[in-house]
Amino acid sequence: MYLELNEEQKLIQETARQFALAELEPVAARLDQTGDQEIFWSNLKKLAELGFMGLNIREEYGGTQAGMVAFSVAITEIARACASTAVTVSVNNLVCDVIQAVGSEAQKKAYIPKICSGEYKAGSFALTEPGAGSDPAAMTTSAALDGDTWVLNGIKRFITSAPYAGVFVVWGVTDKSAPKGKGISCFLVEAGTKGLIVGREEEKMGQHASATTEVMFEDCRIPKEALLGKINDGLKTAVVELIGGRVGIGSLSLGVGLAAMDYATRYAQKRVQFDQEIVKFEAIQWMIADSYTELEAARLLLMQAAFRADQGRSFAKEAAMAKMYASEAANRACYTALQMMGGYGYSKEFPVERYTRDVRIASIYEGTNEIQRKIIAKEILKNLQQA
Amino acid sequence: MKILVCIKHVPDMESRFRVNEAGNWYDERDLAFRLNEYDEFAVEQAVRVKEQLGGAADITILSIGPDRVIEAVKKGLAMGGDRGVHIKDDLVYQKDPWQVASVIAAFARDKNFDLVFTGMQSQDRGSAQIGAAAAELLDYACITTLVSFEISGDVVTARRELEGGMRGAVRFKLPAVVTCQLGLNTPRYPTLPNIMKAKQKELLTFPIADFLNVESLAETEKMYPPERKGRGLVLEGDVNELADKLASILKEKAPALR
Repeated sequence: MYLELNEEQKLIQETARQFALAELEPVAARLDQTGDQEIFWSNLKKLAELGFMGLNIREEYGGTQAGMVAFSVAITEIARACASTAVTVSVNNLVCDVIQAVGSEAQKKAYIPKICSGEYKAGSFALTEPGAGSDPAAMTTSAALDGDTWVLNGIKRFITSAPYAGVFVVWGVTDKSAPKGKGISCFLVEAGTKGLIVGREEEKMGQHASATTEVMFEDCRIPKEALLGKINDGLKTAVVELIGGRVGIGSLSLGVGLAAMDYATRYAQKRVQFDQEIVKFEAIQWMIADSYTELEAARLLLMQAAFRADQGRSFAKEAAMAKMYASEAANRACYTALQMMGGYGYSKEFPVERYTRDVRIASIYEGTNEIQRKIIAKEILKNLQQA
Repeated sequence: MKILVCIKHVPDMESRFRVNEAGNWYDERDLAFRLNEYDEFAVEQAVRVKEQLGGAADITILSIGPDRVIEAVKKGLAMGGDRGVHIKDDLVYQKDPWQVASVIAAFARDKNFDLVFTGMQSQDRGSAQIGAAAAELLDYACITTLVSFEISGDVVTARRELEGGMRGAVRFKLPAVVTCQLGLNTPRYPTLPNIMKAKQKELLTFPIADFLNVESLAETEKMYPPERKGRGLVLEGDVNELADKLASILKEKAPALR
């Protein structure tokens, strides 16, 4: 048992921390209030140039090949400063991972380097639909082969980075007669393709700098070679690749939770009521103790899932546990941090209000926590049956 | 051009320091270590020289200490160093600056480095002696506390930071040892691919006995936190009384008012 990052992981963590402190933290509040895209994009470009968009991607495709543990600690450090930036980096990594996992050599060479280098500001993962959230197999977007082109029709919803993504990984039904979930395939669609329409931006509670929109496909024609992976095998790809994405969202949650508690704890050391710093009250000390214990437990769950991934072992259960627990611990940490700061916590003048809004989505996206629990129970019961 | 960069792995300065059991240094347990800030300027400047020369330079990154210092060496390699040298010594904190400088000089003596970069001081011991002493031992020019550096052929023009906000302009020929001050440059972030590639670069390890051939000249007998200064004076009473008290204290303590 050795619970320590290796030298490369430590240096990646340090680089992420220094970059986040110097470049992201000073603009995070402004991005939240104005969604200033120029600054946001400029930071994404710098992060791409440093190698943060393809942590698990092989060097030949422009990636860092640093592994899942490095990915986790990097996302946590970025999220401590700016959750909008962190989710974009996490999704970009996810899109690269999908293409690397099932793409043809030509697809890998065409798209992954562009996301890794920052030539594309982002990649989008277009799975969710108005009627297919937790139940992606219920999707209705269709993909029909017409000669040597696929024709896509349908609506995707809550698509991260869609207005500025260079490429979309899109799921559609290719065999309507197949049993549910067995007739879905995955495609690569370039931004600007005729018939790909980016809809209005959602007005979200938090993570304002990261754009989330509807994406419509109206007789959108893409080449036959745009099929990503095997025909009718697309849902499996989504399910498998989202496992890694969950480590990303769990790590993001941890970063936001730590940021909130660090801020509130420093505040409590200075805030005087009843003639003493409020940190001297046991009520506040218990909040600090409970929150940091939960965040530390979240970190260990994340590290376990990421470590197993790096070892090439299964990590579906561990990633689901880590995402579920970290996002809930971080939500509780933000609630606690805001409570510790009283009225100042509720004020937009201080960052805890933003952290609290930003972290709320973490128990919902990349698979709701109810779905995570379903996955965890299924994995546990599966192993019991085998015994 | 052969360049040597001497770096140190130091505790994060925001750590809580405790004196060790022997009472002669800080306790290293539970501390997070990083590359000494001034040495980061040194690595950056060395890499800039190499870039200016179109790559026609070879940069060796040297650190003395226990195995953990390899992390700092790898950061130097990730920033652009070509090879790392780890002179292994678990008790380097017991060596005085003279011994450390002697070890560096003994390593560098037969290797014909044109330029040696190091930080102007370490953030932990802060003796600021290493660069100057190593230069003396190597019979190199030594220019300290640089805030600018330009090289053309074998001539360097540079600016030094002096006390009182003054600057000094210097010109010198190689070979030389230079020590780097805050303001010289903004160190680059090592890119993640370069961090990963650093482990493929050459890393040589030597026991310190290979290079240590002098006795210490000074010994740290005791390390201790300074005594707490008295708290500020709180005056109480009505306004007139307070004004009188304050005036008499100022007369007594502030020479300018006498």
